Amino acid sequence: MRKSKEDPELDDFGRFSEPALLILVSLAEGPKHGYSMTEDIEAVAGVHLGPGTLYGAIARLESRGLIEALKSEDRRNPYQLTALGERALRARLNSMMAVVRAGQRRLANA
Amino acid sequence: MKWLVKLYPATWQARYGEEFTEVLSTQRISMGLLLDVIGGAIDARLHPQVRSEARENSKGEDSMTNAMIRRCSAGGPKLSPRDQKIASMAMVVSSLVLAGVYLVLTKIYRSAPAVQALGYGSAPMIWFVYEQTAYLRKRPLFTQILVAAAGVGGLYLFMFGTCVLASKL
Repeated sequence: MRKSKEDPELDDFGRFSEPALLILVSLAEGPKHGYSMTEDIEAVAGVHLGPGTLYGAIARLESRGLIEALKSEDRRNPYQLTALGERALRARLNSMMAVVRAGQRRLANA
Repeated sequence: MKWLVKLYPATWQARYGEEFTEVLSTQRISMGLLLDVIGGAIDARLHPQVRSEARENSKGEDSMTNAMIRRCSAGGPKLSPRDQKIASMAMVVSSLVLAGVYLVLTKIYRSAPAVQALGYGSAPMIWFVYEQTAYLRKRPLFTQILVAAAGVGGLYLFMFGTCVLASKL
């Protein structure tokens, strides 16, 4: 996929880049804790994230300031998108959209 | 299944342990789940994203200044102006001696590997002499001589080996 200059934050996530993107998409709806994210991602994308993958991606997103933990009374910490995370998500979705549009245009002409 | 969280580093457990265990307890046990958790633990150890509190506290706008202060206060032996003066003198004298020896040997043996090794190795040797004179001054004389001779000799032998190898290529 073409890399946008505006979304370098997700570039160095390695195998966690897709789970990280799905988490950002999930949190775009509002704050969620880990279990809610896995449920939402499974419903939206049909992908089941195991806890190892989920928290590997959460730790990366949090350490880069793309998401942040909210204070919680119980053991389940909810997370929310930060402004930086929102920008990174928008940029990544825009670059994906460009690829989708190009693919559809070419298929239409095929 | 809760024991699986112990595979993760302590700092990671302190940050995510509880919620991770919470999510883990909702999953059905399977080989895929085990592999996912073990893979996550390996990743957390190889690419730690969670810094320990001590490291976190050391972060800040003046972290470089802090690091320098820590290094000076802990490591850098407190060199008095006199120590530095003596070490500098030793460096100057050893430079002159090495330069003289190098000139004489070049005159006699021209560019033999043994002479080249002295030329190439002289800069690190001089630096080594300075360091040892400065930092070992309070050690017994025997220790000073032994460390300096072993260091300079080792450097020379390394350079000599390199020059011999280069001459055969």
